[in-house]
Amino acid sequence: MDFLISSFAAALRLIGSFSPDVVDAVGTSLSVSAGATLFAALFGIPVGLAVGLSDFRLKGLAVTALNTLMAVPTVVVGLLVYGFLSRQGPLGALGLLFTPTAIVIGGTLLASPIVANYTLASVRGADPRILPTALTLGAGPFRAVTTLVGEIRFGVFAAVIAGFGRVVAEVGVAMMLGGNIRGYTRTMTTAIALETSKGEFSFGMALGIVLMTVALIVNLFLGLLQRR
Amino acid sequence: MTELYRLRSVTKRYGSNVAVDIDALTIAAGRLYTLTGANGAGKSTLLGILAFLTPPTTGEIFYAGERIDWKSETVGRRRRQVTLLHQSPYLFGGTVFRNVAYGLKARGIAGETAHRAVERALATVGLDRFRDRDARELSGGEAQRVAMARALAPDPEVLLLDEPLANIDREAAALLEAVIASLPSRGTTVVMTTHDPDPPAWLIGGSIVLEGGKVAHADL
Repeated sequence: MDFLISSFAAALRLIGSFSPDVVDAVGTSLSVSAGATLFAALFGIPVGLAVGLSDFRLKGLAVTALNTLMAVPTVVVGLLVYGFLSRQGPLGALGLLFTPTAIVIGGTLLASPIVANYTLASVRGADPRILPTALTLGAGPFRAVTTLVGEIRFGVFAAVIAGFGRVVAEVGVAMMLGGNIRGYTRTMTTAIALETSKGEFSFGMALGIVLMTVALIVNLFLGLLQRR
Repeated sequence: MTELYRLRSVTKRYGSNVAVDIDALTIAAGRLYTLTGANGAGKSTLLGILAFLTPPTTGEIFYAGERIDWKSETVGRRRRQVTLLHQSPYLFGGTVFRNVAYGLKARGIAGETAHRAVERALATVGLDRFRDRDARELSGGEAQRVAMARALAPDPEVLLLDEPLANIDREAAALLEAVIASLPSRGTTVVMTTHDPDPPAWLIGGSIVLEGGKVAHADL
């Protein structure tokens, strides 16, 4: 128990002293997660809207595919993107492997199905009168859809936040595609895994506390939005 | 009388259910029509078709002499001349002003012109002082009046009303009755559904009776 308490105290000291390694890992985590979330939103929101608002023959299959993609293990996404970005891969010439960009690509693939699914759920839960009301008042299809998005904006924000939560907390993609390079691609999760295996438990705990704080803030936001 | 709508062999099916099956129907411009029939007679479906929101399964619809091509931009253009007001209207989040200005904004009308149109529409339904109120905090009668103001603000050629007086108090109903009755004199064509087989005296105009999706009687 003393070990845990002393490690916890050391972790708080590391956070309080703004240890450069902690600050770097937090900064990298937040920046790549923000980038991945942005791209996931740009891709996932339109996909969720398109699937939710249109009728097509394979709609059931599309919904099942989105649900399945939400559950894909992070290491599988890491493996897939690794295959593309590795030197022998089709995109190997771009030299993106073990860069923050590679983590952003992997994070985007992880978060997009979540954003799309949450958006789809919001569209399905939306008041069915919204679109006909907008259309009968003279809105064109695009304005009608933007009106719908405005009416379900809290659900869409929740989708984006859930996507961020997925990316910031994952370790497989960041480890496989970032390579855990200190001060460059080391994120909170990969640093926790590495430092703990090296016996630097208090350092791992410091990052764990920051990660939990970020997760708490994300979930508080999510809860707040879901109540709206 | 100028012909506004002409329907020819119009049907609307939902699976095996035939909601509307109309051989021929003509609606003249600037008149007030009551559309009556029992539940499931096809009143709301017909209003959806007349509002250009529900494409018919078969048949042709002409509006002001133009055949409606449901796959072309004519639908969007004609939809801007017709407004459908539901029994339980949906009000968008935000203020009453935002709601009433919606149709104007959709038509590219903004600024002072839009403000004047909103003020005028709100005054018509007796809600002059409501423009900054939160639309979601209104009573049922107030919400229905705001929806009516929102429908009137862009000055549509046709106003389709799906039992607009069904869920509101007597005072609000009386006010809306007066507004609806005055519309034909402004050149607006009104088609209003009602359950009442003997519509009240203020509803002077044509009548269409639907039974099982077919026109059982029409006094046009």
